[in-house]
Amino acid sequence: MVADKGKKSKVAEREGEESDHIDGDLVLSIEKLQEIQDELEKVNEEASDKVLEVEQKYNEIRSPVYSRRNEIIKSIPDFWLTAFLSHPALCDLLNEEDQKIFKYLLSLDVEDFKDVKSGYSITFHFSPNPYFEDTKLTKTFSFYDEGTTKITGTTIKWKEGMNIANGAVPEKKGSKRPFAEESFFSWFSETQQKDLSEGLHDEVAEIIKEDLWPNPLKYFNNENGGEDFEEDDDDDDEEDEEDGEEDDG
Amino acid sequence: MAPDKGKKSKVAERGDEDDSDHIDGELVLSIEKLQEIQDDLEKINEEASDEVLEVEQKYNEIRRPVYTRWNDIIHSIPDFWLTAFLSYPAFCDLLNEDDQKVFRYLHSLDVEDFKDVKSGYSITLNFYPNPYFEDTKLTKTFSFSDDGTTKITGTAIKWKEGMDIANGVDHAKKGSKRPFHDESFFSWFSEVQQKDLSEGFHDEVAEIIKKDLHFFPPFLLEIC
Repeated sequence: MVADKGKKSKVAEREGEESDHIDGDLVLSIEKLQEIQDELEKVNEEASDKVLEVEQKYNEIRSPVYSRRNEIIKSIPDFWLTAFLSHPALCDLLNEEDQKIFKYLLSLDVEDFKDVKSGYSITFHFSPNPYFEDTKLTKTFSFYDEGTTKITGTTIKWKEGMNIANGAVPEKKGSKRPFAEESFFSWFSETQQKDLSEGLHDEVAEIIKEDLWPNPLKYFNNENGGEDFEEDDDDDDEEDEEDGEEDDG
Repeated sequence: MAPDKGKKSKVAERGDEDDSDHIDGELVLSIEKLQEIQDDLEKINEEASDEVLEVEQKYNEIRRPVYTRWNDIIHSIPDFWLTAFLSYPAFCDLLNEDDQKVFRYLHSLDVEDFKDVKSGYSITLNFYPNPYFEDTKLTKTFSFSDDGTTKITGTAIKWKEGMDIANGVDHAKKGSKRPFHDESFFSWFSEVQQKDLSEGFHDEVAEIIKKDLHFFPPFLLEIC
């Protein structure tokens, strides 16, 4: 099957191998293949590194843009609260108390670790409020090379009688929070991974990072579009006005 | 922000109709500025995607000659794949005599992860035209759903007349670990029932091919 009869005797010598199909030529070829394999691995690593570099570079480009965005958002009252409530998935996560607390929400920050691949954090900045002492609530996800993820979340310093996230809740790891009663803030204490083999699976984090953070305006507008802020009408008027102003300017 | 005053009065009128007193000129301006920033971000994201694509294409080019060398060596070895499989002790037991004859027509092996890597993968055995079956590709695919279940699909082999060595009979043998030399390796493609759902995914052959046969890189080999 493998080679010619002559080689077979050589193989007989190589009794150590469990298969008598392995002969000199084959061994050589396999060694060459192994070299090529190693080469390919190097090339693939380089490619990954380069892609990572690009992502890091663009994260740095985006950073000041996000800062500018933050400043503008501060001048829009209840921006993040509105965006949350207008997001099809996130709106169910805020109960009544949560919404009251969100009125004190100054800004939201989603930040990758510098090297992009080892993790990210989501931070909610609050102005002083009657609910908790903290001004920053953060949840951080760290990805390690061996595939595990470490999750940490701020332990909220609730003020007297204000702990709406309530002691009992943190045990409900894995629950999808089906009831409006459960507080959004219990999310910060959900630091157990549901299923290690499946990797990180924090839906809320994923939605905030991948969907809300890149373009919250989309959701904010949706809400206003339906109710008080009739974009179409306003736009027409505003555009006319604007054009006029621009010409003047 | 002089123009605002003008806008404010206009909007104040509208504001009376609606219950929100948030609607004012400054707000409108802020939202417009915000939209501009979102547009900027979109442009940046597109640039980023383009650059990543460029990098990937560049490395595809670098890999190409390496693949060619790989191919050349493999095709210079008679019965390479058969020998390779047989030199893995785990596989020795899985290939009966008939299987080995079929394996001489095995051209290459592909292991391909789903795009998002986590949700599954497929293992494809590519064959030269042969006297055993019509197919040139036999694939088994494993899809992992969020809820923990695994869906398995495998090619229904189009055996040629009298060649069905996998034999219709025991597709029902789910759970059997194929201890007998006689059972054909090819029945693996029709084993799509999960042995033990509660234990999650457990297909030994797939695991061996995917993990241990890492010696053979998971990319598509070109047909010479």
